[in-house]
Formats: sequence, C-alpha cells, structure tokens
Amino acid sequence: MSVTTNETVTRSENQGPAPTGKPQRRGFFAAGHYIPYTLLLPAVVVLAGVLAYPLYRLIDLAFQNVNKYALLVHPERAKYVGFDGFSRVFGDSEFWEVVLRSIYFTAELVILSMVLSMALALLLNRVSNWVRVTVITVMMFVWSIPALVNGQVFRWLFSPQGGVVDYIAYLVTGDESWKNYDWFADAHVGLYVVGAAVVIWGALPFLVLGLYAALTQVPKELMEAAKLDGANSFQAFRNVTLPVIRPFLMISTALSFIWDFQVFAQIFALRNTSPEPGYRTIGTYLYMQGIVASRYSEASVISIAMIVMMLAVLVYYIRQMLKIGANER
Amino acid sequence: MTTDVSTTAPKTPLPLAPAKRKKSKETEVGRSGAMTWVWNTVALVVAVVMAFPIYWMIITTFKTNRDLISKDPTFWPSSFSLDSYRTIFDDDQFLPSLGHTLVLTLGAVVLGVAVGFLAAVGVARFNFRGRNFFIVTMLVVQMVPLLAIIIPLFVVMNSLNMTGGLFGVILAYLVFTVPYVIWTLRSFIVNIPAELDEAAMVDGCTQWGAFFRVILPLTLPGLITTSVYSWIQAWNEFIVAKTLLGTSGMNTSMTWLTFYSTTPTRGADYGAQMAGGLLVSLPVIILFVFFQKKVSAGLTAGAVKG
Repeated sequence: MSVTTNETVTRSENQGPAPTGKPQRRGFFAAGHYIPYTLLLPAVVVLAGVLAYPLYRLIDLAFQNVNKYALLVHPERAKYVGFDGFSRVFGDSEFWEVVLRSIYFTAELVILSMVLSMALALLLNRVSNWVRVTVITVMMFVWSIPALVNGQVFRWLFSPQGGVVDYIAYLVTGDESWKNYDWFADAHVGLYVVGAAVVIWGALPFLVLGLYAALTQVPKELMEAAKLDGANSFQAFRNVTLPVIRPFLMISTALSFIWDFQVFAQIFALRNTSPEPGYRTIGTYLYMQGIVASRYSEASVISIAMIVMMLAVLVYYIRQMLKIGANER
Repeated sequence: MTTDVSTTAPKTPLPLAPAKRKKSKETEVGRSGAMTWVWNTVALVVAVVMAFPIYWMIITTFKTNRDLISKDPTFWPSSFSLDSYRTIFDDDQFLPSLGHTLVLTLGAVVLGVAVGFLAAVGVARFNFRGRNFFIVTMLVVQMVPLLAIIIPLFVVMNSLNMTGGLFGVILAYLVFTVPYVIWTLRSFIVNIPAELDEAAMVDGCTQWGAFFRVILPLTLPGLITTSVYSWIQAWNEFIVAKTLLGTSGMNTSMTWLTFYSTTPTRGADYGAQMAGGLLVSLPVIILFVFFQKKVSAGLTAGAVKG
C-alpha cells in the first residue's frame, strides 16, 4: 500500500482535517472523524431497539413471575422472584429431556448432513456435465422451498392415510402392513427419521453447492502433483483437498449447528402446529411454553439456557472466524 | 484405480496420469469412462430422490379428490383438476395474507439494506475506535437464535402497542437483516480500491459524486445479493409474524398456511395445502431461478463471512 502519495492528493482535494496516516481513512471519506459514527448510527439504533433492549428484557423477565398473559398486560402486578424461575425450569425433568433430545437430534442432523453433503459434493466432481447441471437444478429448487412448506410436504409424504412413502415401502417389500404405517405414532421414529429427513433434505442444497464450489477451488496442479507422488485418492483428499476446503467446512458445520439446534418450522409444520411432547426439541419447547402456554418468564429462562448452550459451542467457531477475518485484510 | 500406496519408495506412477481418457474437458485426472457412467447413475438417483418431494407436491395439487382419497396413491393423476387451486383462491384470507407478506418483505428489505449499507460503508472505509468491536458484535449477533428473543420481542412490542401491526414485524425482521447486510456488504466494499474514489475526486467529483458514481455502482452486485437474501428470509419467516400478529387475526402467507392445515374442515385437504404451499413458495422459487448464481454465491459469501 502506497499511502503517502495518495494522501497528499486527497488532502489537497478536500480541506478536511489532515489524515493521520491510517491506511483505512483514505479516498472518499478521508475527512471528518464523525463520519463513521454517523454511518453506523442507524444500525446501532435499530439493533439496540430490536435486539439489545429485548435481550435486556429477556434477562429481566427471567427473574420475574410473568407466567400468564394478565401479568404481561399489567406489568405493575409482576414481581421479582429471584432465581425461582430458574429453579422451576431446571427442576423440571421435561426440560432436561428436551435438552438431551435437542443434543441428540442436532448431532444426528449435523453429522448426517455434513457427511451426505461431502459425499454428494465429491460425486458432483466426478459426473458428466449434464448430470451435474441436473443435480444442481434440482438442488436449487429444493433450496427455494420455505422450511414451513417442507414440513407440510413431508407430513403429506409420510401420512398414514394415502402417504406415498408407505406405499413405496409396500411396493418394494410387497408387505401389505407397510400401507397405513403410522410414522408419527412413535415420536422417536417421527422425530429422528421423518423430522431428520425434512431438515436434512432442506439443508443439503446449501451444503452440497457450497462444498462443491469449495472443491473447485482445489488447484488441479496440486491434485496431479499428489497423484504423481503416489498418493491414493484418500491420501490426496486428506492432504490436498481437505486443507483447501477447511474454512468452508468449518463454517458450514457451525452454520448447520446453528440452524439445526434451533430448528422449529419444519417440526412445527410436520406435527400440525402442535408438536407432541416427544417432538419437542428446545425450539418447539420454547414456543409451546412461551407463546402457547403464556409462561413468559419460564420461557425466558429457557431462552437464556438456549443462548448459553449455543454460545458455548460457538466460542470456538467465533475464534476461528476472527482468525480468518484477520487474514482477510 | 490410482490406489498404489507408495509412501516410502516413490515408484514411477507417471504412466497413470497420461493414460487417462479425455471424454470431456471436465474429466478429472485418472477417471475412466466406465466409472463416470457409474457415478452418473448414482448422481441421477440422488437427483430423483431429492426431487421427489417437490414432484409429489406439484402432482398432488392437480389430483382430483378421488385420486387423493384413494387407498393406493397414484404416481400420475388419472385426470387433472384445478379444484385445489380453486379452493385456495376462494379462500378470502389468501390474497390479504399475501399482501401482508409483500409489505413486510419489502419493508424489511428496504430498511434493512439501507441501514446495513450505511454501516457497511462505515466499517469498510474507516478505521475508528470501536470498529473491531462492532464487526465482532455483528458476527455474534447473527448467532442469537431468533426464537430465543421472540418472548421479549413480543413483550416489548406488546407494551408499545405494536403487536398486531405490520410495522412492528418489519422492525423485528431487522434483527436478522441488518447484521447480515453489514457483514456481507462490508466485504464487497472492502474490495473496491480506495484509489478509485480518489481518482474520481481528482477528476473533479465531489465526495457525494464519488460515492454515487463509484462506490454505489460497484456495490450494486452486493446490494442485489443481500436484498435477495433478505427477501427470502423475510418471506419465509413465520414465527415472529405468527407471534406478533397472533392476536389481531392478521396473517402472512406463512401463518395463513399453518392455519390452513389445522382447521378441522380443511385439515385433510392435502391437495389444497400443497397448492397453497406451492403458491406461497413461488416468489422465492422465481427469485432463485432469476438470481441463481447470485443467490448461491451471495449466501456462501455471507456464510463464509458469518
């Protein structure tokens, strides 16, 4: 960066205060210390209003007893109850069941979707052009269907009455009992099979196309060099491909975690807007407690627990992101 | 093939590379035509499985009632019927809810991109105290689950009497549009060399002239990408909309759709549900078709940057 030459030009052009030589304050906005703050102001105001203040209220509510709508509309009757709300939520065995279920479900979703999408991305690298275009086109369409609609479509696919998956199972096995098999009767099957299928189906396009794009960044020469040095496919993948795509791999895993941990719309639609207890992961549980049952304070405790759990996992990710961000400039 | 593991003594695997048959320009090093055929088949099976739910959704909308309630589902309708679509368009909630969604989405996109753009210019072109803190905050903020703040959002909006109105929902949507827009546009603007606006000013542009003639046009692809993404987000969102509009009886397309599948009389009408779902998804599908490259590039860019 040749700072000095440009600086003299800028300084003579606009009579603002002399630049102090910081490389970022060049060009268009070389004048005025207040400008960056002015530019940021609207965003800060907006985010303070819709995020910071609600977050403050979230913590505030967690220490109150606002557990019915009447208390919400008459805030003067609300009382601070200290950690009572926390002990009530954490003392509830259902909460821990939900947490455990969320962990299992998230782990299942993240692992399956990452493995599947990696396999598909590698596959896309090996197929003929027209096949690749076909697969990518399908992916784009799947991608563009809203999560809520995904849930409804899968409810229909797996419906015990007239559901086509039952029928295909019958056609394949020839076993009549597959017809009218109720996938949702057992919440384990309903959540870990059908629920996972919806979420993964919807998540694959982003992951596959992203990983495929990342794979195209792997220099062909490096691959050839590895082969020449006698590396087999697996070794070449481990030592050449993986380091190149690692940034995207990390980020997409983190994103999958974020999305899968708070999954809501698909399950909500899959269970006809009122998920049974066996289907409640932290997202649906929060909604049922907070909005449906009007237990605002207890739901706030659950929200806080949810944020803490996510951040605990993501601290590692944030640190990596900062490293990448530092290299970028 | 290409599985000779020779880490210790480098044999001469040279013949491998030239031996490849070049079927197309794309053929990878050392892949035979026969293997390509196998992979093609596997990929096509994957495509069929992936596409099937959408196929089933579309085909359901054209089925007659008799097909829909028949014991064995039919993979092709015995006759095509538009009854499902008629049901949807006869629903007097369908068009108003679509209108609400449109207002919400436009509002969230315009406000979110405008506010985010300014801040993005700020963090991309200035070095100021608190800049890194701001950037990191934007990153962290994107990870706060929308669901987790739904309760306080509802409480706050309720005390401001803004539940039941579209404006409150638009404001709430800024939670996810603004940080994303800032984070994504920032990387677009960083890549515009400062020399360009300097040159424009040397050539006699004012600051604002340089802004409108240099920075704005060069950021346009980024603006389109972030707008499309924000559009999709806002169009598909429904928890906030459902919560904030819940008491008013006002609907967005998405909340209308959930309502549609639960009412006893319509609950079993999968034909109409699928038609509704398809119609509601259409704007997003069209966006994807038009901006295919930009959407995937923008989303991955946004994802890579947070």
